[in-house]
Amino acid sequence: MDIIILNNIYHVIDAISYGLYAFLVGGLLLGFHRKIIARIQGRPGPPIIQYLIHTFKYYLKEISIPITAGNPLYIFMALMGIMVWLTALYLGVVFKTSLLILIGLYVLQKIVEHGCGLSSGSPYGKLGGVRSVFSAAAEVPLFAAVGIIYILTQSLIIKDIISYQLLNGPIIFKLPFAAFAFFILLISKAPNSPFGIVKDKSIVSGYITEHFGILESLILISDAIAWFVLLWLFIAVFIGPIVILNPLLTLIGMVILTFIISIICALTPLLTPNHSVMLQILITALVIIDLLHKSATI
Amino acid sequence: MSLNIDSIAGVFYGYIPFGDIVFYFTEFSLIGFIIALFFTLVVYLTKPEKQLEFQIGDFGDKLNYVSLEELKIRRLMAIVCGICTAFAMLTGDLFDYALFLAVIGIANMGIVSAVKKEGVLSAAFYYGIIAMISTLPLFGASALILAKTGTLSILELAKNSHDLLFQKIIYAVGMVGETGIAPFYAAKAEMFRAPGAPYILMIHLSSLLIIVRTVEIMLNVH
Repeated sequence: MDIIILNNIYHVIDAISYGLYAFLVGGLLLGFHRKIIARIQGRPGPPIIQYLIHTFKYYLKEISIPITAGNPLYIFMALMGIMVWLTALYLGVVFKTSLLILIGLYVLQKIVEHGCGLSSGSPYGKLGGVRSVFSAAAEVPLFAAVGIIYILTQSLIIKDIISYQLLNGPIIFKLPFAAFAFFILLISKAPNSPFGIVKDKSIVSGYITEHFGILESLILISDAIAWFVLLWLFIAVFIGPIVILNPLLTLIGMVILTFIISIICALTPLLTPNHSVMLQILITALVIIDLLHKSATI
Repeated sequence: MSLNIDSIAGVFYGYIPFGDIVFYFTEFSLIGFIIALFFTLVVYLTKPEKQLEFQIGDFGDKLNYVSLEELKIRRLMAIVCGICTAFAMLTGDLFDYALFLAVIGIANMGIVSAVKKEGVLSAAFYYGIIAMISTLPLFGASALILAKTGTLSILELAKNSHDLLFQKIIYAVGMVGETGIAPFYAAKAEMFRAPGAPYILMIHLSSLLIIVRTVEIMLNVH
């Protein structure tokens, strides 16, 4: 009995440690992302640990709730962000369960963005939230990509997809359109991305404008974990066991992917909401045609 | 039970033979069910926000309140929408799922219909037209699947291959219109401008969960 309790305690400690690891790696990568963008733009940029410093600083700051806010939704949304990405971390990265569940959790991030914006009552938050609804077009290629992956591997369980690649090589060469759609999703999620209309500076900070103090810190923590999970997922699903089975190679892969995304973000202007959605719909059409083609040929 | 479901939605835990309607439980459907119910509870408990609006051509901002009468009907509709979404995650019957989708569409319109704003009501009207038109491909595809295979049970359809690509496309088109996603989202996004955060958010949550669930069904039925 004591051994079972002790084992359970070890599992809890493992889970907390892995969550912390994901946050630290994600935070450092987002700091690295900011640094690369600054260097490309000819600025020295903040130190790489700036993201973590920000998170820590906001965590200790005093919190006040706007009189316009709708509670408890206003507070719950920040907690939901953490909940969503920690669940994605454990179900996806640790237990390697269904890709569909992870996509479901990813779309909940849209609810967090929309909810944060709307529940504050601020016009800037509301605009950020409405833009988040518009930019849901980025998720549609993802569903088509999931379909294409299933047609090829006959499974959506991440463990099975990795096993498939162990026998047949990386999927990225077999399904370039699906990989491209997923990569666009990574770019959409990156800060300062051309698709980052939800946090456009013309609407202050978008959906997090009215979330400050510990609530902003929680959102920053969830964003860092989200970055770690999404990069891991891209590597696991499209590059496979060559990289993902070695933690050091996985880290290097994440750094390279962040580097490429940073260059794209630094060299492209922020698209207008209409252009952003039109481009995403174009990519959707491309991936759906690929899905129909693959469905018809099998 | 069919391994096909296991490889798409995670571990298959079992099913409830509830008359003709079969509810089945997988990792995916349970997570969706719990999220929808939990969110319904949050919506029930949350007070609507007081939306601050810019005034064009004038100084100062305007606070928009949600009145008690308006709150009551919108909260009821949001709860109906949440419950339908939760059970749409579990159902194992294509016709049943289409019915849940239709009710969600009606509840979505109900959530914004009490708002006395012309723009919001116009958007709800356009969304309503799209949702009504979409019921034809949605139920039509169900009928076509029934005619071709003799069953509407997802569990039965997942066992063998039935060559249902055309029917699945029509079914997906029905879902796209009913949930108001791209290319029909324009009207629905305008609905999101209405005050009353928790209720509006339920529209968004139900659409997203339904889309993911439809992807699962489309992959299961083959």
